[in-house]
Amino acid sequence: MTVSRRLDALRAAGVEFVAGVPCSYLARFFAACQDLPPTAFLPAVREDHAIAACAGAWLGGRRPLAAMQNSGLGYCLEVVASLHLTNRIPLPMLVSDRGSATDFEEHRVLGQRARSLLELFEIPWRAAGLDPDEDARWLIDIADKTAGPAVLLVGKDGDV
Amino acid sequence: MTKANVVAVVLSRLSDEDIVVCADGAISREAFRAFDRPRTFYMIGSMGQVASIALGLAMTRFERVVALDGDGNLLMGFGGLALVGGMRPPNFFHVVVDNGCYATTGGQPALSQRIDLASAAAGSGYVWARRCDARDRHFEAAVDAWLASPGPAFLDVTVDPRDSHPAPRIAMTPEAMARRVREALGG
Repeated sequence: MTVSRRLDALRAAGVEFVAGVPCSYLARFFAACQDLPPTAFLPAVREDHAIAACAGAWLGGRRPLAAMQNSGLGYCLEVVASLHLTNRIPLPMLVSDRGSATDFEEHRVLGQRARSLLELFEIPWRAAGLDPDEDARWLIDIADKTAGPAVLLVGKDGDV
Repeated sequence: MTKANVVAVVLSRLSDEDIVVCADGAISREAFRAFDRPRTFYMIGSMGQVASIALGLAMTRFERVVALDGDGNLLMGFGGLALVGGMRPPNFFHVVVDNGCYATTGGQPALSQRIDLASAAAGSGYVWARRCDARDRHFEAAVDAWLASPGPAFLDVTVDPRDSHPAPRIAMTPEAMARRVREALGG
């Protein structure tokens, strides 16, 4: 059984349903998700399906979280635009921060534009700090307040 | 039978408790015209995500969840079949109103005409998957058998692609509609 302070903090902040596609930067987080009850974790096949399922869980009365690599933001865009932003559905998102100059080539093009993309769509985001509980409270609170998507970016050392 | 008839027949078989997710476009508009109910979520975009939204509901609720899908919609998010088949929620009921084309954009043929959608669902792990024709006299019995089967269950319904009186857009803001569903479910 893997312990993830990140997951524990998000659950303490109110997360009841997780859907996502793994990233190696979030390996510990996803390993811990395996121990969630079977109706509380959806190992999705692509990120757009994950966030659509999160919308369903929210309609059903549960607080969702989507987790993914930042490359998945591209797949998510149309669903974020026409489902979450149009219907005003809260969507806390845990997203890996790939694409630095030392990261592999395939991560750089989208990864280095991820922040601009979020700002273009007026999606609140911040980089994870040293306190997972504080990060989690911020994420849940801002997604609720804006009734839309919000992103916590997690770097290589943030998978605590 | 047309798309509108099939949507009306499916809705007529449900109880007030059942939760419905309607595909964006004509299927949502027909469902709204036939029988508006608080526990129906009407998509207005996000084509391809009918099954995924319904799965999020099925995993968090005990009531029956009906995904009212279209063939083009299903094909756009074909991974949704894998999600439902893999997670195997027993309260998930998926019906595809299959006109074999993209009717809303002018009737361009869809690849669904060459694909056995029920076999794809069965191969993905749906417990029950059948195909029927809405113009056949056994159509209503097929709908009853689908809803009486163990879930997840899948019914592909071939319909007449002609559509003489398309329904108008839904007279409710997307935000109000989404909140109505959540409130009807106690959230």
